[in-house]
Amino acid sequence: MTPTAAELLQGIAMTVSTPCAPEEASLFAAGRLGIVALVSVLLMQEAERGTAVRLAENASLRSLLASAEPHYRLLADGLSDPGDGDLTITALDAANAVLRRRLIALHVAVESANDAPRDIAILELYCGMAAARSLDLPTA
Amino acid sequence: MSLQIQLEAYLSRTTDSRVAVDALTRIPGGASRETYSFDAIAADGTRRGLILRRDPLGSLIDTDREVEFLAYRSFHGRVPVPAPVALEVSGAELERPFFLMERIDGGQVASPIARDPYGTAAPVLGHAFFTALGRVAMMDPDDLPIAAVLAQPTADAAWRVSVDQWASVFERDERHPQPIIRAAIRRLYANPPPPAERITVVHGDYRSGNFLHDGAGRLLALLDWEMAHLGDPLEDLAWACDPLWGHHDDTRVAGLLSLPDAVAAWSAASGLACNPAAFAWWRLFSAVKGQAIWTTSGRRFAEAGCVDLILGFSGSFTARAHDSVIAEALCQLVAGGWR
Repeated sequence: MTPTAAELLQGIAMTVSTPCAPEEASLFAAGRLGIVALVSVLLMQEAERGTAVRLAENASLRSLLASAEPHYRLLADGLSDPGDGDLTITALDAANAVLRRRLIALHVAVESANDAPRDIAILELYCGMAAARSLDLPTA
Repeated sequence: MSLQIQLEAYLSRTTDSRVAVDALTRIPGGASRETYSFDAIAADGTRRGLILRRDPLGSLIDTDREVEFLAYRSFHGRVPVPAPVALEVSGAELERPFFLMERIDGGQVASPIARDPYGTAAPVLGHAFFTALGRVAMMDPDDLPIAAVLAQPTADAAWRVSVDQWASVFERDERHPQPIIRAAIRRLYANPPPPAERITVVHGDYRSGNFLHDGAGRLLALLDWEMAHLGDPLEDLAWACDPLWGHHDDTRVAGLLSLPDAVAAWSAASGLACNPAAFAWWRLFSAVKGQAIWTTSGRRFAEAGCVDLILGFSGSFTARAHDSVIAEALCQLVAGGWR
């Protein structure tokens, strides 16, 4: 998992509250402030879209896994999908972890079975997942 | 004791004369070394611009400072790299391993987020950049000091050594299940490239942002050799052409040249062909390697108390960017016949 918004905010707090050594007071200090600015831009996007992205990804994963279930015995993994009733990022990520583990197992099985149509469906899902979670940066 | 005093003590002892340190400034960037610029002033008033590269308390990538120092020794005078000055594996007065090299003044480094950072100088600079990489690939490693400390893979095993290394890094540091890179690693093993045409020194991080240029098309110095190793030279070419270093420009690699022009410059200088199938494999490998590095960034950022925000940034933005690169590459490669 990429660092959470909470971890990044803690990083910002640590960065701006840590004094610089004398030799760090110019270029390095400016660089630290630049990173604070960039991470703040990332956090703006996570604040706006983070919950929606996780809900959508979890729904897509459940749909794909359900369509594969008749052909691949996925629910025998002992993992319990907690669902998305709790809308905190932590709870959504916990459900996402369960679903992603099942997806990984499914994809391995699909590759072993040379199930090309489902392989392509999973690869296309990957593209969608990655695109939905991508972050934008301002350009200099 | 301040770093300035430590440096003065070290330089005075090793030169057997009084040396003063002036204009000591830490340079941002680089998650595996602390980098400082300073002037060493000899007793007769002579100034010498130097760069200090010191191991940090915790680094992003486990690298060997001797490898980087020997890379500078190997390539200084052959391609544009700073002259190495001293290596202290024990740390001596500075308490942590470090090395010193000559500072090259007047250069600039492109920010990874800059759009069109090279302007009208891009074609000339791009030719120099990919030609220099080709010259690295042209050299017989057995003629270079760095070969003494590097393991040499066989031509048919170079790909496996590389993917084994970065797959294990990813496995070690994964925090949340990552199906995209896992699928890519399986596909890399299932669709190996042809043997390396030649085993050469691989820079390991040859890209836009890791070289100095004068703003007018002149390549001044290739930097950051800390990940140097022996392997397939296509690894460096593919890494240099990774979209992450493309400065938001889909028409040029590294923000410098079109892909065909970059490959042509590299081939002309190296004397090596760029096998399309092998290059496609190494391009996917590059994104996997990047994702493994960013996975380590994210873990170390969190486990170290979120102190180093550059690790948090690379564990976030760059990690997600490489997921997109990998996912799109997998779709294309499977559509093109990969198992």
